[in-house]
Amino acid sequence: MTNNKKFDTRLLGHRLRSYFSKPANIITIVFLVILALTVILPLCTLLLGSFQLNTIQEATSAGGKKGDFTLRHWARLLTSTEYDYAINSLWLPLGKSILMALLACFIAVVLGGVVAWFITRADIPGKKFISAVFVFPYIMPSWSIAIFWENFFKNTEMTAGPRNAGLLQMLTGICVPQSWIYGLVPCAICLGLHYAPFAYILIGGILRNMDANLEEAATVLGASRFKILCRVTLPIVAPALISTILLVFSSSISSYTVPFFLNKDGRFIALSVHLKNLFGDGRTQGQGYVMAILLMAISIGILTLNNWFTGKRKSFTTVTGKSGQVSLVKFGKWRIPIAILLLIIVGFIAIVPLFTFAMESVLRTNADGTRTFTMDYWFSKEVPTGSTKSDTLGILVSGTMWKALGRSLGLSVLVALIAGTSGLLIGYAVARKRGSRIATFVSDVAFLPYLIPAMSFGAVYLSLSFTEGFTWLRGSFILLILVGGVKFIPFASRTGSSAMLQLSGEIEEAAIMLNVPWWKRMARVLFPIQKASFISGYLLPFISCMRELSLFVLLTVSHETLLTTLLGEYSRTGLTESANAINLLIIIVVLVIQFAVNKLTGASIDKGVGG
Amino acid sequence: MPKIILENVTKKFDKFIAVDNLSMVIDDRDFVILLGPSGCGKTTTLRMIAGLETPTEGRITIGDQVVFDSEKGINVSPGKRDIGFLFQNYALWPHMTVYQNIAFGLENLKWKKDQIRERVNEMLALLKIEQFEKRYPSELSGGQQQRVAIARTLAPSPKVLFMDEPLSNLDAKLRLEMRTELKRLHANTDSTFVYVTHDQLEAMTLATKVCLLDTGVLQQYDPPLVVYNKPNNLFVADFVGNPTMNFIKGKAEIKGNTAKINMLGATFTFSADGDIAPVLPAADENADNSGGADVVVGIRPEFIRVEQGKLTGKVYTTLPSGMETTVKLELGDEIITSVVFGSVDYPVNSDVSFEIVGNGIVLFDAASRSKIAMGSLTIE
Repeated sequence: MTNNKKFDTRLLGHRLRSYFSKPANIITIVFLVILALTVILPLCTLLLGSFQLNTIQEATSAGGKKGDFTLRHWARLLTSTEYDYAINSLWLPLGKSILMALLACFIAVVLGGVVAWFITRADIPGKKFISAVFVFPYIMPSWSIAIFWENFFKNTEMTAGPRNAGLLQMLTGICVPQSWIYGLVPCAICLGLHYAPFAYILIGGILRNMDANLEEAATVLGASRFKILCRVTLPIVAPALISTILLVFSSSISSYTVPFFLNKDGRFIALSVHLKNLFGDGRTQGQGYVMAILLMAISIGILTLNNWFTGKRKSFTTVTGKSGQVSLVKFGKWRIPIAILLLIIVGFIAIVPLFTFAMESVLRTNADGTRTFTMDYWFSKEVPTGSTKSDTLGILVSGTMWKALGRSLGLSVLVALIAGTSGLLIGYAVARKRGSRIATFVSDVAFLPYLIPAMSFGAVYLSLSFTEGFTWLRGSFILLILVGGVKFIPFASRTGSSAMLQLSGEIEEAAIMLNVPWWKRMARVLFPIQKASFISGYLLPFISCMRELSLFVLLTVSHETLLTTLLGEYSRTGLTESANAINLLIIIVVLVIQFAVNKLTGASIDKGVGG
Repeated sequence: MPKIILENVTKKFDKFIAVDNLSMVIDDRDFVILLGPSGCGKTTTLRMIAGLETPTEGRITIGDQVVFDSEKGINVSPGKRDIGFLFQNYALWPHMTVYQNIAFGLENLKWKKDQIRERVNEMLALLKIEQFEKRYPSELSGGQQQRVAIARTLAPSPKVLFMDEPLSNLDAKLRLEMRTELKRLHANTDSTFVYVTHDQLEAMTLATKVCLLDTGVLQQYDPPLVVYNKPNNLFVADFVGNPTMNFIKGKAEIKGNTAKINMLGATFTFSADGDIAPVLPAADENADNSGGADVVVGIRPEFIRVEQGKLTGKVYTTLPSGMETTVKLELGDEIITSVVFGSVDYPVNSDVSFEIVGNGIVLFDAASRSKIAMGSLTIE
């Protein structure tokens, strides 16, 4: 008996040793632990937070003590009829947010899909330019479009907001109604425009990779263009279309910044804005947790639906034939007008915004409503009156601004390094241990942060930093790095997996035969082959982090911490001109870095988006 | 009936010329095979006739209809050319069942439901795939998908059928089977077939006429046996035939329709069937012109008979394949290939005698690479 037992432990030891002799296994186990700590643990604290009294105020009003179990938060937020509390703080915003997200989806998919079709299938000129510029809105901070929207349509007839003439009024004298500037519809349009490039990249990728012979076969059999589109092309891209719709929907409904900026008349309060308010108030923090869980549940529900949809369909793996020879649809005399129309659309959503930011930052609104040219918002050392939010008026001479820019850059670089490297390693483990349950689980958990709305994710970590034992994290820079690194792992792990899966195992095995150590195989063989894709895996978290506000807004103690939080504060306190200047600065920094990386390494943003 | 005429058809992709000034006539009920190495422009030619690719210049006529004319700006869409096209990867629509795939073309012709039903059933029976009617393409094997693709192409009874390497994705055994069936199909359907392949054996066995292309230029357009026996130039001679033809460099003194050729360390007399075409002067002015003009003598392996004759070679290798054996002999710088019926085996490096027989010997000009005569060789 004892002998037998001894034998068993020895066998187990052998098994463990052989299991851990493979780098892929070590990586899997290490990430299992890391992700359990950084994703699953915070989720648990969030759940816990919704069932306990979190603050002294909550404890006082509930008549218990801090940390007690309670169902109050759920009950109040979901069912309270006192002053129609549940309806006003949850159900109505929820309904409106869903409506907004649906509208945004529709705009994004139609616009992105149409542009994708023209770029991949029509013989119009200027495709390269249109394609390159069309992704701008996705690179910009999501609320840039919202700021642009205000810049463009604002007018002297408004009852809220800056109340000076925007570009449209200056050029044409037209004053649009306020409901066209603030509220649900403009929010949906701005989100739709922001996510249109995302839809374009996803749908365009499918159209590009789709075997052109499938359409040609229908052409030869005498089907009309329209019939081919309806009966062949659309059904085949349907899974990508559905998945785009669902991703845009889940991103839109949890978007905080756009509804926040386009709510100057206070009439449309989106669910995410409510969430921030609930967290901001010590008495309702628990309800904030409840709402975050609900937002998360919506996203997870939607993505489960997505997986069910795409999984159910027959997998459309087609042997790629001579797809390179796509015959383009000939538009004859229409090709120039169509190209011009596309250029106008692309120009309006990608280039005009930059122009308005620049313009707004150099125009001062005088007391009588007239506007004069000034460089003060860039260079003046004068301390702004009526606001304590900045040291100097000109952003380029402001120490606060430069420190925030430095911190933003530093944070983004660190986050990109963490997320990119993790994604690469997870990708490696997934590719090497293809089909193993534990690797699939790790890859699923690594994707989880994508499903959690940024605001909820911030909330998750906020609640963690209020938990005993983790309080040292509260307000620290480490917390920001951690939250950013984890939140942006999904992008990198998707990119990493697809790049690794494209490499045949034999490539690495050839190096194993030569007894090349693991790290050298990674650095000298695997990485160089898929360099562009892997670097995209670093680039994407960097860009996303640079422009991110929703994720960090709950976690930063001071508005001076990051460039985006500073921007939010400028905008909130009415320093619109400086806000525009900062916005332009962020976009330029992101564009320059993305361009430089693209030129140096060939990596590009559209290579990374794929989930 | 449909006769396909290509007149001076050229296709350029930017500066790259894929097809260069191609003119050919495909007769009704022909089985024409476009043959050539990859990148020679054969698929482009096929796609231009089908209308999937627009030629840069030229004119294409199918039957009595001009379907493309660069000067008159005519370009009839593929759907209106009354053709069928079979793709290399079958291009079956993954979201449609076998039935729906086959019926799609008929729907476009606005056929009635019961007519479609009847025709699809007929097609399913013809290709023996009745039991798969309700399946999706992903649930079929490669060979079954191939049959569905053929059925879909044939359903509207096109006058002309285009096929782009339809057998290249099948395994060797299935490919042989489908080859037989395609030839039967051609006999049964009364259609004109135009077929692209890089497999010269496929071309030899299936075609009524082979069109050989190289870098976009037509090399030879003849029945397969003419292409095999009387190749126009070194490229054709080299591309067609397996094992490949022996090309032996030599010096020739040409007089009328005979030539004295020095090669393989011996002197041969070549007696041509007709006149010997003039030889181009060597491109290199410093070339050694003594001893006659530079020629290449092309000898099919079946014209090398071993174990008799005055020549002796050292066995380089022997490749028995059962029915026949390929013997490679080394003589000086040359390796001579011979095909022997039955199984034989020689030890490597042993000496074996051989001779050159038959009257299918081809004489090429080394400079222009063209055929200058056909005839027989006798050793002196």
